[in-house]
Parts: sequence; C-alpha cells; structure tokens
Amino acid sequence: MSLSSKIRAIAAALLVCCCLPATAGATQTVTLHTSFSPNKLGASTTIGFGFQIANVGGGLPSPMTGLSLRLPVGIDYVTTTLGLSICQPADLLAHGLAGCPPNSRLGFGSALVEVPFGTGSGHEIPEIQALMGPSHNGNIVVLFYANGLSPVYAQIIFQGELVSGSEDLGGSLNAAIPLIPSVTNGPPVSIIETQATIGPSHLTYYTHRHGKKVAFHPKGVSEPLSCPRGGFVFTANFTFLDGTSAVAKSVVPCPPPLRRR
Amino acid sequence: MLVAGVMSTGVLTGVAGLGVASSSAAGRIESPPALAARTISLNETGHLHRTSSSGLKLNEQGSASGTIKGTIYIHLDVVSPNRVTAEVNIYLNGGSLTGSGSASYRVNGGTASFSGTMSISRGSGSYAHAHGSGLSFSGTIQRLSGSVSVHLSGSMST
Repeated sequence: MSLSSKIRAIAAALLVCCCLPATAGATQTVTLHTSFSPNKLGASTTIGFGFQIANVGGGLPSPMTGLSLRLPVGIDYVTTTLGLSICQPADLLAHGLAGCPPNSRLGFGSALVEVPFGTGSGHEIPEIQALMGPSHNGNIVVLFYANGLSPVYAQIIFQGELVSGSEDLGGSLNAAIPLIPSVTNGPPVSIIETQATIGPSHLTYYTHRHGKKVAFHPKGVSEPLSCPRGGFVFTANFTFLDGTSAVAKSVVPCPPPLRRR
Repeated sequence: MLVAGVMSTGVLTGVAGLGVASSSAAGRIESPPALAARTISLNETGHLHRTSSSGLKLNEQGSASGTIKGTIYIHLDVVSPNRVTAEVNIYLNGGSLTGSGSASYRVNGGTASFSGTMSISRGSGSYAHAHGSGLSFSGTIQRLSGSVSVHLSGSMST
C-alpha cells in the first residue's frame, strides 16, 4: 500500500470512528417473528408477523419511523379475496373501524409502546387494524389503524404499500410510521413490540346472494407452491428517529412433506 | 360491438375504430383473393370464467364477440404484484389466433384491472399467417367470482 493510500485509509478509519458514537449509543436491535397459519404449500394462509425492539444501551429504543417487510418469493396475492372493499382513510379517521366496510378488513394486531416518562413496563395499544386502502401507483395499500388508550390517547392511521420486487415476486410492504405523541406536544412514544396478522383468520366478510346477506370467510393469500431450501425467508428493515436502522430476518420452516398412502 | 374490417390487401392500414368506416365506404365486406395478405381491424370483447388457477397463473375460458366470434382462452400469469403477462387463444370458425402480451395490474377492492399491449404471433387455418403487434389489451377481474371481461383492439395481418 502506498503512503497516500495509507493516509487515506487512516483518515477514513478516523472518520468512521468519529461518526460511530453518534449512532452507536442509540443503536436498536430488532427481533422478527413470522409465521404462516396454516403452513401448507399452496394453501390459503394467514401471515403472522411481530417484532421486538430493544436499545443496545438499555434505555428506551428510539421511535420507529419506517418499516420495510420483504416477503418470500412466490406468495400468491392474486386469488385472494381479502380486501374486496376499500376503506377510505378519511372515513377511518372520522368514524374509526365502523367507518369502513367489513370486506375491507385484512387483519389485526396489537402493540406495546413505552412513553418517555413511563415505568418501563410498556403500555399496550390493544387495537391495531389492517384494512385495504385505495391503491397507490397501482400498488396494494394496507391501512393500519391504531387506537390508543390510556396513557396514549391517539388514533393513528398510516399506510403500507405492497411494492413488487425487482427480480422476482418477493414483494415488500413498505410503511412510513408516524410519530406517536405521548401527550400533547410531548415527545413521541417508543414502540417496544408489535404483533399482527394479515389473513382470513377471524375475519368475516359478507356478500349478497339471492337478495340475502351471506357471511363467508375470505380466502387469504396463498403460501408458495414450493419451499426453498432452508425455509421461507422474511427480512425487515427498520428505521428510527435517531437516524439509525436495523435489519432483522425470520424464517418460516418448510411444512413437513405430505405422507403418501 | 364493432364489426368486421377487412380493410386492405397487402398493406397494413387498419387501426382500431376505423373498421366500420372503411367497410361502409367499400359498401360491403369482400373476401380477399386467396393467399393475399389482408388487414383486419379487431375489436373484441370477451367474457370469461375461471377454470383453474395454480399459484400465480389464472386460466380463464369464455366467449369472444366483436370482429370475430369464437371461444377465447386466457392464461394470465401475475409476474409481480402489479404486472401480468397473458397468452390469449381464440378459436373461431376456420382457424385460431394466438397472442401474448404484458399489462400493468392493479387491485382496487372487489375488482382488479389490467391494461397493456398484445401481439398476435401465430394462427391456424384461415388465420395461419396471422400476425400483429401493439394491440390494446385490457380487462377487469371480479375477484370474488374470478370472472374476467377483456377487451382487445388493434389491427392484425393475415
């Protein structure tokens, strides 16, 4: 290595070292959990996903500002009957879940958040709903509605957009997460944990047949027809208010092969 | 629907929507001389139902009406959440047509729609030398029932 190269290398190392403390002190780690229920090749399924966020330094994690969940290749979004109706964000904001048709529901979940002045035990946002929103740029839009109770009184709506993959069908669900105020004009809360499902489990839709309203269970997205070696890989990229990001990976194991009689 | 349009012999002049005017101007639709190339302005509507699906491939069958009438089969392959490719086969009196195309795809509540272009690559029987490109290809899928309505327009040579 020449002298000038060494100088450049040392300068670069110093620059990195000088930059590290700005982010390292607030680095978050994320654990991602995913599931298919049922886990059966080609079958209608409910996708479960959840994550836990922790601060490496032991304090509160920085508030999350974005999430990009990349889905496995081969999931069938086409034959699902989820999201047969559209929920308009304005109706959702004005009337809550009652403002949207039942056939727009895609799933639900809950979250655990911590307020900056909290005890550290977290506070649950018991109701998170996922609904079909108006498409954007031809992409499927999932509206998330979080209904916070004490001490986080907030009804928050944000949207995720299902974007196609670059080389395959492994689309990704990208969402910008709004900051959730702890109190009016107060600092935002930190998301500690989230659990959610997208799929027909516990959902009832309605249609009209021969003039009668008939309930039915929608068909979910279908699990891929084949399972890659090592299982179905989900990856998620999280961004935080402090400018850091974290990547997490989760693998749903391949279903056991069907026994032949 | 728009009716036939044998529009010219040997020269590609037809475009969708002109078929009626050209045919009327001629006073009648004449059969071209055997072996001579002719241009047909297509304006087809198909109503199909789902016969099967496998993964991201949908197979639909139904009837086509418009310039030509027959049985239409469409194989839709959803290659990404917002893109489909399609193979279309139309079986009619005296032959068949085969085309393929690509279209954008979007879901909007109870329906999904696609819109793009298609090429006719081959045929059989009376349409053995059929070819054409840049045909408009669009449709709507009823997501609950799986039924599809499709519209195909443009010109082809035979």
